[in-house]
Amino acid sequence: MTFSSDLTLPENALRGYRARAGGESRLVRRLLIAGAIGFLGLFVFVPLVAVFAQALGKGLSSYLRGISDPDTLTAIKLTLLTAGVAVPLNLIFGIAAAWAIAKFEFRGKNVLIALIDLPFAVSPVISGMIFVLLFGAQGWFGRWLQDHDIKIIFALPGIILATTFVTFPFVARELIPLMQEQGTEEEEAALVLGASGWQTFLRVTLPNIKWGLLYGVILSNARAMGEFGAVSVVSGHIRGVTTTLPLQIEILYNEYNFTAAFAAATLLTFLALITLVIKRVVEARV
Amino acid sequence: MNISVQGLTKKFGSFFALENVSLDIHSGELVALLGPSGSGKTTLLRVIAGLETPDAGSVLFHGEDAGARPARDRGVGFVFQHYALFRHMTVFENVAFGLRVQPRRTRPGEAEIRARVLELLRLVQLDWLGDRYPAQLSGGQRQRIALARALAVKPNVLLLDEPFGALDAKVRKELRRWLRRLHDDIHITSVFVTHDQDEALEVADRVVVMNEGVIEQVGTPEEVYDRPATPFVYSFLGDVNLFHGRLEAGRMRIGEHEVEAPEWSEAPDGAALAYVRNYEVDLAPASDGGLAMGAIVRRVRRLGSVVRLELDREEDGKVIEAELTRGRHEELGVVKGDRVFISPRKVRVFLEPS
Repeated sequence: MTFSSDLTLPENALRGYRARAGGESRLVRRLLIAGAIGFLGLFVFVPLVAVFAQALGKGLSSYLRGISDPDTLTAIKLTLLTAGVAVPLNLIFGIAAAWAIAKFEFRGKNVLIALIDLPFAVSPVISGMIFVLLFGAQGWFGRWLQDHDIKIIFALPGIILATTFVTFPFVARELIPLMQEQGTEEEEAALVLGASGWQTFLRVTLPNIKWGLLYGVILSNARAMGEFGAVSVVSGHIRGVTTTLPLQIEILYNEYNFTAAFAAATLLTFLALITLVIKRVVEARV
Repeated sequence: MNISVQGLTKKFGSFFALENVSLDIHSGELVALLGPSGSGKTTLLRVIAGLETPDAGSVLFHGEDAGARPARDRGVGFVFQHYALFRHMTVFENVAFGLRVQPRRTRPGEAEIRARVLELLRLVQLDWLGDRYPAQLSGGQRQRIALARALAVKPNVLLLDEPFGALDAKVRKELRRWLRRLHDDIHITSVFVTHDQDEALEVADRVVVMNEGVIEQVGTPEEVYDRPATPFVYSFLGDVNLFHGRLEAGRMRIGEHEVEAPEWSEAPDGAALAYVRNYEVDLAPASDGGLAMGAIVRRVRRLGSVVRLELDREEDGKVIEAELTRGRHEELGVVKGDRVFISPRKVRVFLEPS
C-alpha cells in the first residue's frame, strides 16, 4: 500500500493547517482519507478479492483441479524458466550498463541512457513485433534461421528474448543513480590498494549496491513473470507448449473456463503480493 | 623511492590540466604540491598514482618507467580528499583490505593481518575504533584511518590529496603536525596536495608551486617564500600589495615615486610590477622619499597579535593593505582618517609578463 505513505503530509504542515482552518479541516481531512480509501478499495482491493472469490467459488477441489491442469502446469514451468533466464541476463546487463554509465565518461553515453529507457517507452506489443520482424519467417533473419533449422519466433527463445527486452530497464534504472551518487573514489581506493578489477567489483562495488540491485531484480522478476503483450506476439499461443501463465489465463478465460482462469490468476496475484512485501522490506534498506 | 616526472602533459578536452611538467622527488622527502584549484596539482598526484593516464611524458619510480604499470602494481599509498573509506566495512576491515586482496602467494596469514592492522591502528592512535563503521567516525578519525589503510600495504610512496581539506581549523592544525611527526618517524617518500600555503610551508620539506598546469617554482619553504621566482608565487604565498609601473635603467617608477631595482639594471626598459607584502609595509608620519606615498587610513582591525590597516592611496585612490605588530601600531598611534606615508621595508620588482 504505497499510496498511503505518499499521502501523508509533514506533521508541521498539518498542524498549521488545522490551527488555521479550525473544525472544518477535520471534515476535509476525513473526506480526503475516505476518498483515498474508497478509491483504493474500488480499484485495487475489490478486484483482488474478486480474483480469489471467483477462483474459490466452486470449492477448493475445483480450484486445485484448475491449477493442476497439465497445460497450466506447463505454463507455470515455462513462466519460471523464462523469468529464470531473463532475470539473470538483465542482472548482468543491468550491472554492466549502470557501471559503464555511472563510472566512466565516454562518447554516446546519453544515447545509451536513452536506449536503456526504450523498452519502457514503447508498447510491449511493439516490442514483440520487433522480434517477429527480425526473426519471423518473413523477417530479416527468417530465411537464414529456417535454413539452419533454428526456431525463435513461436518458440521458447522468442519468449525469452521478448521478456528480456521488456524487463531490461529495471535493474539498470535502479542502479544508475545509486552508482552515480556513490562515485568512483572507493573503487579507485581499492585499485590503489592492489585489488584486481574483479576483486574491486566483488568486495567494494557489489556490497555498496546490493540492496538497490535486489530491488531492481524483484521488479524485473515481477514484470518478467507477468508480461503479456510482447510475449503474446512472439509466442504463437501453442497450447501446452508456448503459453506462459498470463497467456494461459487468457486462453482459459476466452474459453469461459472462469474457475481455472482465476485459479491460475491467483498464482500471479500471490507473486504480486510477495513482490510487494519483499519490495517494502528492501526499500527500507536501500 | 625517488620519483621523477618528465614532461607530463594531460588534457581534459581542450583544457590543459598539466603542460610539460617535470619534477624530481627525492627518496624520503615530504613534498607539497601547492596551487589554487585548477592548477593541475591533483591531476599530477593522480598521474603519479596511476589513476590518470598522461597524454605525454613519463613517471619514473627509481629510474624505472612506471607508465606500463597499473595503479595496483605501483606500490603507492593514496589518501583521497574525502577519504573514500569502504562504507560497508568496519575500520578494521578497511585497514586490512590491502592485505586481504593480495594474491595467495604473498598474502599474510590471518594472525599476521590482525597484528599488522592493530599495529597501524595504534600508529594512528585509533586502535579502540576497530569495530566501528566509517559513518560513525569524525572527520579527523576518518582521515587517520584512511592513512592507516594506505600504509597497510607498505607502500614505497605515500600520496595525499588535500589531506586536511575537509577538516575544521583546529583539527587541521593538529593533524598536520601529526603528519609531519609521522613522516619523521617512518621516512616514506610522500607527496601531498594542498591549496593552503600555511599548510605547505609548515609541513613540507620542499614546496612545488603550481599554476595553470605548469610548475612556477620548486624550493624549500624558505626559498619559495623569501625568494619567489615569479609574480604568481609572490602573490600566492601571503597577502601582497601590487604596484604597476615602468622599469628604466635599474629603477622602477611608480607614478611620481621611484624605487631601486638593481637586479634589473641590465633589463630593457618596460612595464614592471612591484610587490610589497602586507607585513613589510611600514607607516610613517612624514615622507622619507622613495616609495613614500601619501595615504588615508580607512579601516583598522585588531586581530590577535597583529593590526591590519586598509589605506587609500592619495594619488589614485587604490587600496593598500598593511599589517603592523600591535607594538608598532601603538607606537604610531594611527587611527581611522589619519594621513600617513607608506614606507615599504622590502619591494620585489618583476618584469610584467607580456
